[in-house]
Amino acid sequence: MEMTQSFFDWIEKRDSEIGAYLSLCKDLAVRQAEAVDIKIAKDEALNFLAGVPLAIKDNMLIVGLPATAGSKILADYKASYDATVIKKLKAAGSVFLGKTNLDEFAMGSSTENSAFKLTKNPHDLGRVPGGSSGGSAAAVASHMTIAALGSDTGGSIRQPAAFCGVVGLKPTYGAVSRYGLIAMASSLDQIGPFTKTVEDAAILFKEIAGQDMMDSTSSPQANDYGEELLNPKLENIKRLKVGIPEEYFVEGLDKKVAESVEAAIKDIKSLGLEIKKISLPHTKYALSCYYIIMPAEVSSNLERLEGIRYGTRHKAGNLIELYEKDREIGFGPEAKRRILLGTFVLSSGYYDAYYAKAQKVRRLIGQDFEEAFKEVDVILTPVTPTPAFKIGEKVDDPLSMYLSDIFTIPVNLAGLPAISIPASSVQRQASSELPVGFQLIGKHWREADILGIGQYYEKL
Amino acid sequence: MLSKKDLEHLAALARLDFKDDEGTKLRNDLGNILDYFKELQGLDTSGVEPMTGGTELKNVVREDVIGKTDDTGKGPEAFPDRQDGYLRVPPVF
Repeated sequence: MEMTQSFFDWIEKRDSEIGAYLSLCKDLAVRQAEAVDIKIAKDEALNFLAGVPLAIKDNMLIVGLPATAGSKILADYKASYDATVIKKLKAAGSVFLGKTNLDEFAMGSSTENSAFKLTKNPHDLGRVPGGSSGGSAAAVASHMTIAALGSDTGGSIRQPAAFCGVVGLKPTYGAVSRYGLIAMASSLDQIGPFTKTVEDAAILFKEIAGQDMMDSTSSPQANDYGEELLNPKLENIKRLKVGIPEEYFVEGLDKKVAESVEAAIKDIKSLGLEIKKISLPHTKYALSCYYIIMPAEVSSNLERLEGIRYGTRHKAGNLIELYEKDREIGFGPEAKRRILLGTFVLSSGYYDAYYAKAQKVRRLIGQDFEEAFKEVDVILTPVTPTPAFKIGEKVDDPLSMYLSDIFTIPVNLAGLPAISIPASSVQRQASSELPVGFQLIGKHWREADILGIGQYYEKL
Repeated sequence: MLSKKDLEHLAALARLDFKDDEGTKLRNDLGNILDYFKELQGLDTSGVEPMTGGTELKNVVREDVIGKTDDTGKGPEAFPDRQDGYLRVPPVF
C-alpha cells in the first residue's frame, strides 16, 4: 500500500512534465494493494507480480475504467469487460496505476497523434518518446511505474522502448491473447511488456502469455513457456548463433545508433556466442508491404467506431450522415489517412495490384527469415534509424514518420518475437546522451533465446 | 496526387467525411504514399502463396452448446442513446 501510494505521489510530481498518463485509477489500485497486504499478513503464497505497480496502454480494456485508444471518438467510453491479459494480471495480484497515452488507435511512431495530450521523452523533454506506446515507455523510463503493457503492430513497443531507454518485448504472434485489446491490425497486433530489465520482461511476459478461447489466433504453443524463460543457462545461450543482416546496416543509419549497436554486438560476442553475417533480401519491400496490409485491416477494424453502440455520438438527419459526421469529428488526421488508404487498397480494381500483391510480398519476407534461421538462431539489428527525434519534426510528413519503423516492421509481418534492449554503451555515458536500443529477433516461440541473451547481456 | 473523385469515392465507402482543407492534404499525402508503393510492382511474385493472416492455424471450432441467457452484458450501458435497453438510431432513410 505504501509503495502504491508513493508511486501516485511521484506521478503527481512528475507527470505534469511528461504527460505519460491519460487517467489514473487510484480506487482500484488501493483495493488491489490492500488485497495483497492482507495476503502478506496471513502469510499466504504470493505470485511474483503481487503488489507490483503496472501502467496499461489505453487501448486495453479494464472493466469500468476509460479506454479511449487516444481518440476523441472514445473520449467518454468506459470498458464493459476486462481484457484477458488484465484478468491474468488481476489474478496475479498486480496493482494498476493508470492508463497511458498513445497515438490514436495505435497509429503512429511518436504519440503525437493522441487526441488528448503530448507525451515527452523523459531523457529530453523536447523530444518524442516514440509511439504508439509512448506513454507506457515514458512511464517506465521516468519511474512512474515499475513496468507497463503496450501493444506492437509495426514496432509500437520496441521503438518507444529504444527511444526511452527501457526494455520492450513484442511476443510471437499468437503468444498473448488479443481479447480486450482494441484491434488495429488483427494479423499483426501483439501485447507485450515494457520493463527496466530483461529479467522483469521475462517475468511479465510469462504471466500474460497463454492460449485463450476468446482469441482464436492465440496458439496452444503459448502454453508451453517454461523455466528457461526465467532461468536461462549460459551454456545453452552460448550455443546460439547470432546473425547480422547486411540490409539493416546501410547509409542513413545514424552514427550514434551504428556505434551503439556495434558495441552491443561486441559485448554479445564476448559472452561466447558466434556472430555471422546473413542476408534478408526482401527487407526494402517491407515498408510498402506493411503500409498496404495494415491500413487494409485498420479500415475494417475501425468500421465499428461510428458512435452508435458506444463512443461519441453527434446529431444527424439519417443514419449514413450520422456515421460520416461521428467519424469526421471523432477521428484525427492519421486515422482518417489510414482508413482511406486501407479502403483504397481493398477496393475493386485496385485489390490485386495492392493488397493481393502485398500478401505475396509478406510471404517472401517471412521466407527470408525462415532461410536465415537455418543458419542462425537469433538476428541482431538496430531498432530505429535514429535516436528520438524532436517533437513536431515529422508530423507534417507522414511518409518520413513511417520510415522510422523500417527495422521493426518486418518482424510483425513474419509474426516473430523481438525485443528492444537499451545499449549499455550509451547508458554508461553521461545522462545527456539519448538512449539507443538494439533488437534481438528470435524464431517463432523462442522468446527464451532472445530473453536469455538479453539477461546475460544486461549482467555484463 | 489522388483525384477529388477518387477521394470522394473512398470517403463514401468508408463512411467518412472531412473538411475541405483536410481534403487537399489527404489527396497529397495519399498520392505520395501510393507512389511509394510502386516499388512493389517491380518485384516478381509469380507462384508465391499469399499470406492471408498472422498465423497458419486452422479454424478453431467447438460443438454447439445450448444455453439460455437474458443477460445482454454491460454493452447496453455504453449506448449513447437508448430506450428500454434498446439502441436508438436515426432513420436509415
